[in-house]
Amino acid sequence: MDTLNFSSSDFNAVLITLKLALTTCFFLAIIGTPLAYFLAFKSKRTKPFLESIVTLPLVLPPTVIGFYLIVFFSPDTPLGKFFILLTGEQLIFSFYGLVLASIIYSLPFWVQPLQSSLEKIGNDTLKTSESLGASKFDTFINVIVPLSKKGFLTSFIISFAHTMGEFGIVLMVGGGIHGKTKVIAISIYDHVEQLSFGKAHFLAGGMLILSFIILLTLFYSNKRSIVKVK
Amino acid sequence: MMTSLFVKITGYVGDFFLDFEHEFNTSGITVLYGSNGSGKSTIISVLSGFINHLETKIVLNDKSIENTKIFPPHKRPFGTMFQNPILFEHMSVNQNLDYPIKRNQFLHQTLLSKEELIHYLELGSILNRYPQNLSGGEKLRVALARTILKQSDYLLLDEPMSDLDIKTKARLLNFLKMINKKLKIPILYVSHSIEEISQIGDEIILIKNGKKIISGSVSKILNSNSFQRLIGKFESSSVLEGTLIKTNQLMNMTTLDVNGQSLIVPGRPGLENNIVRVRIRSRDIIISPVKINTHITENELVGIITKIHTEKNTAFSELVIKLKKNKIKKTSQVLRARITTYNLNKMKITENKKVFIYISSVSIDRQAYQY
Repeated sequence: MDTLNFSSSDFNAVLITLKLALTTCFFLAIIGTPLAYFLAFKSKRTKPFLESIVTLPLVLPPTVIGFYLIVFFSPDTPLGKFFILLTGEQLIFSFYGLVLASIIYSLPFWVQPLQSSLEKIGNDTLKTSESLGASKFDTFINVIVPLSKKGFLTSFIISFAHTMGEFGIVLMVGGGIHGKTKVIAISIYDHVEQLSFGKAHFLAGGMLILSFIILLTLFYSNKRSIVKVK
Repeated sequence: MMTSLFVKITGYVGDFFLDFEHEFNTSGITVLYGSNGSGKSTIISVLSGFINHLETKIVLNDKSIENTKIFPPHKRPFGTMFQNPILFEHMSVNQNLDYPIKRNQFLHQTLLSKEELIHYLELGSILNRYPQNLSGGEKLRVALARTILKQSDYLLLDEPMSDLDIKTKARLLNFLKMINKKLKIPILYVSHSIEEISQIGDEIILIKNGKKIISGSVSKILNSNSFQRLIGKFESSSVLEGTLIKTNQLMNMTTLDVNGQSLIVPGRPGLENNIVRVRIRSRDIIISPVKINTHITENELVGIITKIHTEKNTAFSELVIKLKKNKIKKTSQVLRARITTYNLNKMKITENKKVFIYISSVSIDRQAYQY
């Protein structure tokens, strides 16, 4: 039995998990936001097709996504070759491989809340802004972003929490390498396998409390903004 | 400087075919009139740059501005107010008003300042409020002020007052007329209300199923057959113009001179010698082949029946009556009356017969109008 329930390896796993979640959210903001904007305001004929693609990670078993990502990330593919050329490292089993996988896996969690929040703003608000002399970008910064603050917050929190909790894909694509791609979820799995329930309790309990706090913050802020509008 | 605008739009919007062409050459208020689905809002959207797949020609002051790549919506010199205007919910009234000012590209010579607009539209007390705490009328006034503050070359107002009560509406219509004159900014006003047209319009364009039916000055068009057909029998009416002679302050009644005959209307629609336009519904007119020697109504006019149209399968007949005129005026004005065929036959009225026309002042829509 371990006497110390929180080792430096666990500490590393926490750091990697947080770094992964933040980096993923950063890239999701860059990729997912324009996608949500396009789905909310622009797409008409392409909408069902695009929405299906964005939603796909929600319904596919993580192992299916993991399998295809391993295929695409392998050093023989153009993507794998390009990454080696860029960093001298393999994409598979690397931290950036994890980031790329998490972006794909968490994409619906960024796009969907933001999209529904943008759809509530509606095209007429955009038209009003443009007819008053604001360009599309100006309108986005000064009208859309302030009006969909709640949507952005929801997207961030849900994507962050979801990336933190992912297990299957992260294990397949990252391999659970100590200090590199081993995240909290994998650490817990390892502890349980080794029957170190104390260590598992510590990490699992931490995740439980953190997830609860995140959701509580989210629902509390939603409730407050609804009251404010009334 | 007089603003000129030429518009030609052709093409399909869904399965609706729009084929519209008009040369706007008034600095006054042009009303675009048509029923729902006639293409009015589509024309506004094309002008504002939000619909760009139609074959379009827009020439404003000798400059072509139809290309949405060179003139995207935010660079169009139009101040557009859409149906159900939207205020930015995250901004106070004051911030909403500043929005177009900060982005102003069209500096006008004769501009109405923000302070003046706040004064005229009585926005002073609500400047720091947010849109969710405003009434419908307040929201509309803010949206109107905001559109005007864009200082554009042309105002496009798409049925802005459809949800307002009569009193607020009358005040805002007067305000629009005032800024139209003061700023010399022409207005294209979309409406499907005849009251609004007769109150505000200088010119009118009638459209139906995406096509222009007729256009011209309001008094000419409102009395035309094609207009009467378009608005249907129930709303059938005539517009008379008269010079304001005097106002009886005590009774609050005003006498107009309509080509030598006098017409008494309620209220004080203008100053002496102003031209006042009144609209009278055909079903509000009482006619008689003989003079009735009692004061059953304030007004007794004399005219000649020029046409009788007896409708099949209904109880009604429409009469066109040419009003008697004095010798100086060249054209005589025309009234339409709607009575039952039963009564027509009883009175033995036929074409070319002289009739006495009785109109109660209560049923007269009046509007001051200066030329």
